[in-house]
Amino acid sequence: MSARNQSTDRPLPEGVRDLLFADTAAFRGMEASLQATWSAWGYREISLPTFEYADTLATDVGAAVDAEMYRFFDRHGRTLALRPDMTIPTARVVGTRLFDQPMPLRLAYVGSVFRYEPPRAGRQHEFTQAGVELIGAPGAVADAESIALAVASLRAVGVPAFRITVGHVGFFRGLLAALDLPERLASRLQNAVDRKAEAELALLLAEAASLPPIARSAVLTLPRLTGDAAVLAAAESICLNTTMMQAIFDLHGLADLLRAYGVEDAISYDLAEVRDLDYYTGITFEGFAPGLGFSLVSGGRYDDLIGHFGPPLPAVGWALTLDRVMLARELQGICAEEPRSDVLLSADVWAACPQWAAQARLLGVKVEIDPLGLDPQALWQAALARGIRRIVYGPDLNHLTVRDAAGMRGVSADEWQEVTRWLNR
Amino acid sequence: MAQPLTIALPKGRLTDDALGFLARAGYAVPANGDGGRKLVLDGADGRLRFIMVKPSDVPVFVEYGAADVGVAGLDVVRESERDVYEPLHLPFGYCRLAVAGPADRADLSLRLERNPRVATKFPRLTEAYFRKRGVAAELIVMSGSVELAPLVGLADLIVDLVQTGTTLRENGLAEIRTILESRAVLIANRASYRLRATEVRELIDALANVMRET
Repeated sequence: MSARNQSTDRPLPEGVRDLLFADTAAFRGMEASLQATWSAWGYREISLPTFEYADTLATDVGAAVDAEMYRFFDRHGRTLALRPDMTIPTARVVGTRLFDQPMPLRLAYVGSVFRYEPPRAGRQHEFTQAGVELIGAPGAVADAESIALAVASLRAVGVPAFRITVGHVGFFRGLLAALDLPERLASRLQNAVDRKAEAELALLLAEAASLPPIARSAVLTLPRLTGDAAVLAAAESICLNTTMMQAIFDLHGLADLLRAYGVEDAISYDLAEVRDLDYYTGITFEGFAPGLGFSLVSGGRYDDLIGHFGPPLPAVGWALTLDRVMLARELQGICAEEPRSDVLLSADVWAACPQWAAQARLLGVKVEIDPLGLDPQALWQAALARGIRRIVYGPDLNHLTVRDAAGMRGVSADEWQEVTRWLNR
Repeated sequence: MAQPLTIALPKGRLTDDALGFLARAGYAVPANGDGGRKLVLDGADGRLRFIMVKPSDVPVFVEYGAADVGVAGLDVVRESERDVYEPLHLPFGYCRLAVAGPADRADLSLRLERNPRVATKFPRLTEAYFRKRGVAAELIVMSGSVELAPLVGLADLIVDLVQTGTTLRENGLAEIRTILESRAVLIANRASYRLRATEVRELIDALANVMRET
């Protein structure tokens, strides 16, 4: 067997992967669509370092992400970490460098993030996140913009069907405050609500004997507060204090604004969403697509984060995982297209070939020049093998031959109208 | 456009109970759930599609959304550490995950064991249980016949599911501690819980109603 046909095993480390042509093209395409969308909404992209001091990245992220960080040492022995998300580096940039700029700031980013977490649904240890942050604006108008932009972005990257579920940490926090349970019981309650474990809620309530009936029924109703905007009305009736009322008031306002954006069809509500309760300070949301069991996008309001790095500033934002968007698109029948050239050009007998190629490329035609000196028949076979739909060869500028699936015909080198037609075929 | 909700059922011990329970809740279920060889079965009323999988695989099918919901033992759900909702505990499949050892084992607290060799099919739960008590157990992960391990000197202790305790007794073993009281649970995929909210809620309520009536 010749050396060309052999390969050597060269394992990759756990958690990383190569993207080949079609996938890379699809990623770049999605990034371009996202950038166009962001920019139309006034967001400006920043580039962030891949690694920073571990202390910076671990600030207030919660133990979960902390345990998932890739850490290593610099030459002075200081601990560095690969960024586990982009929100914290963004908050650092804002808190340390941009805090006195005219507000609000609209920032966007795209890049790799790194986490030691079991690969799930297209997410390896290294995966690509793209996201936006709207900083310096509290309130429902900013929240609605963020969610509406998430909807616009998912549409822009070509996910036909998806749903964004919106919650508010104030609702459950208010409930916990009203219940005033012993800490252990409260954390078990949160855990049960997180798993939507309805039966467990009843058992936990049995342990909290002194609770008034109204509080009991609020807890038991919690798992049912999932669905369209109608759940907000249902939630209103179980509010036990002003924190809960405020959360519902905020969400009502948000729902009106989302209707104004015309995106209400893509939105549902979940008042029993208690994930990342410590991180977020207001609304939270997650986006799901049919068939993909995991969230595509997640975000919310986190007014306390930037204050860790500088003057406190309200902020709302989200990040989507491009790797999962790819999967969601495939599940909905959208396949990444293999990039290929429009024409394979023989250089053999035709001195003006490079100039002709340069002009065709200016018109947007993807032109490959054959470097192997193939004869027309071999050139046609080479084109077929690589998915190129036509070849062009000499003998001279006035007598070019074009061959495609329809057959062969002669053209003159200055028939640019003919060449432009190749673009769309 | 009303697609059936896909439910993953564990092949084996829980199958009949699960199917019987779904039938009582008003769902059309396939007649020979366990006996048949087909792995995907459609309910006659078009509301559920049943996929029959190995019990320990149910949480994976559900986490990935290959099944919208599933029925699994709580032991399997906890061991798998999969990110799924568990809206309902069901009234069957009762058993317990227990530490057991030779019946003639000295009356020694587990905390005072040096580093016991423990045979189990539940490595995560076993590891967590011993580690929490500061004991460095040496896990021997097996896929069947765990009771055999202490008899032939492969392990000092076992962690396994116990229903009546007969198997343990017949093999000269005795229960020492219960790690987890288990029963069947209904689990649901996080995306399906939202994207198929109406159907999932219908199923939860129907099953909860049957439980209330009995």
